[in-house]
Amino acid sequence: MLFPTLTFGLFFLAVYSVTWAVRGSNEWRKILLLLASWIFYGAWDWRFVALLIASAIINWGLAGLIAGMPEEEEVARRKALLMLGVVANLAILGFFKYFDFFLEQAGELLGAIGFARDMPLLQIVLPVGVSFFTFQGMSYLIDVYKKRVPAAPLLDITLLMSFFPHLVAGPIVRASDLIPQFRETPRLDRGMVAMGLLLIVWGLFKKAVIASELSVGLVDPVFFDPSAHSQMDLIVAAYGYAIQIYCDFSAYSDMAIGLAALLGYHFPHNFNQPYRAASLQDFWRRWHISLSSWLRDYLYISLGGSRRGFMRQCANLLMTMLIGGFWHGAKWTFLIWGGLHGSVLMLERIWARFRPAGWPTVPRWLGILITFHIVLLGWIFFRAETFDGAIFYIRGMAGSDAASAVTTPLALALILFGMAIHFTPHHLAQGIAVRLRNMSAPALGLLVGATILIVDAMRFEGVAPFIYYQF
Amino acid sequence: MAPADQIALSAADETLSPVDLPVGEAVDAHPLRWTSVTIAVAALFLLMTNAVSIRDWANDLTPSPAQARFAAAAEEWVAITDRIGLGAPRATLHGLWKKAQAARFGDETDAQ
Repeated sequence: MLFPTLTFGLFFLAVYSVTWAVRGSNEWRKILLLLASWIFYGAWDWRFVALLIASAIINWGLAGLIAGMPEEEEVARRKALLMLGVVANLAILGFFKYFDFFLEQAGELLGAIGFARDMPLLQIVLPVGVSFFTFQGMSYLIDVYKKRVPAAPLLDITLLMSFFPHLVAGPIVRASDLIPQFRETPRLDRGMVAMGLLLIVWGLFKKAVIASELSVGLVDPVFFDPSAHSQMDLIVAAYGYAIQIYCDFSAYSDMAIGLAALLGYHFPHNFNQPYRAASLQDFWRRWHISLSSWLRDYLYISLGGSRRGFMRQCANLLMTMLIGGFWHGAKWTFLIWGGLHGSVLMLERIWARFRPAGWPTVPRWLGILITFHIVLLGWIFFRAETFDGAIFYIRGMAGSDAASAVTTPLALALILFGMAIHFTPHHLAQGIAVRLRNMSAPALGLLVGATILIVDAMRFEGVAPFIYYQF
Repeated sequence: MAPADQIALSAADETLSPVDLPVGEAVDAHPLRWTSVTIAVAALFLLMTNAVSIRDWANDLTPSPAQARFAAAAEEWVAITDRIGLGAPRATLHGLWKKAQAARFGDETDAQ
């Protein structure tokens, strides 16, 4: 069930009506939201609803045991339970996402040393959103262990991990963000509703118009067969993919945040004009914020962060980004992508520390330009099926014999528009939402309806799944 | 916009959630009713002006006798809204968008 479809629209209208109708009982409201979330998830594959429930029960049970032990007396047992929980979450992720990959690599290694074997690949179907809900479960356990959050009831934890707006592609909403909101019956205010509606419509436009148009008309055909496309098409398609992935992923986050707002919940930020970043460090404060802050808080700091010397800090950065890359999927190209980001983050730290005194600082505009093109280079590895494919693509950008010309004026205009939205004023969306909340309901309804009509008239036929569904 | 709102606006890195707006002067009585009416009016507007999308959706549903009846009703609804001109804005916009999609710099091949 994809967000920008009529099926989901009707589903959401039903959920909205039923959950607000029972607002007198917060427990019933949460139970209904949970059932709705399972129906939403079960629309992909009912079998994985059981996985979702099992994962929630494991994390709830272990967190309860950890919280029930006095810290002073049971240090080792608390730590053992935490490790058990982390391993259980990683086992779920590892089995569904990485089992076949590691088996394939082992097979190739055995073949290389003369012991070629047929490996028992399982062709496992990847449960949608497994990377997101396992990270959520792990962070909850660690937060309970570190006493950042109290252990929560089973219903709240199950709903936290299953809540349909964020279930399949984030944001990774932490227990500390959402559990306190679950404790009380949520209340709406006009501001959050106006902003929620704005985010839903804006997300719909970014996904259904910009990302879909660029994907089908330009990026997919060019990346599918780079050898058949001209240098100009390869260059434009690389820029096109940078805009497509931003508009696709940020659209999902926007819609998720907007839908949650209409149900009375506040989700955290996930994007903040990432292509206006003047350094890679700045980029990761603006792109997929819920993942980058998760990696910082639960991985980078756990590895020692910057507390164990400069060399160790650089190594931790690289390790964090490599794991962050691998989190996206069991492919070498994701590791290369993470490695590239980690390496440049390291270089930025080294430059900041050892820059000769008196050397001028890089102007902000140049920093933005350099950062964007490093990110662009990374996206080529991220999008390519193989490492060789990415290298071939990059070579083609330097010079190609093919004479295709699939770049259209519309594609170019959408790329320029996708870049331009990164340089709009900081408070633009909030300013618009403040105006919207002062409108009468019929006037706002007509405006929302008319805007959706315009988007629907422009949208590409059919809806492709969001890119981040595969992660 | 009220001056107080302008001062209190904050960027993405300054609030916990994008839907956290500054407290303003807006009337906030019955926000649930206000929201529900907004959504109902938007849905009704789309029902009247976007019958084509409903028909396309009906045609994509799993075939069954009920689906066939629903698809026929959706087709009839398209005809009714077209007769009274409610489908015209979407059709005009869609036509303009198709022209923009078809525009070429000169020698492009169609990738789709």
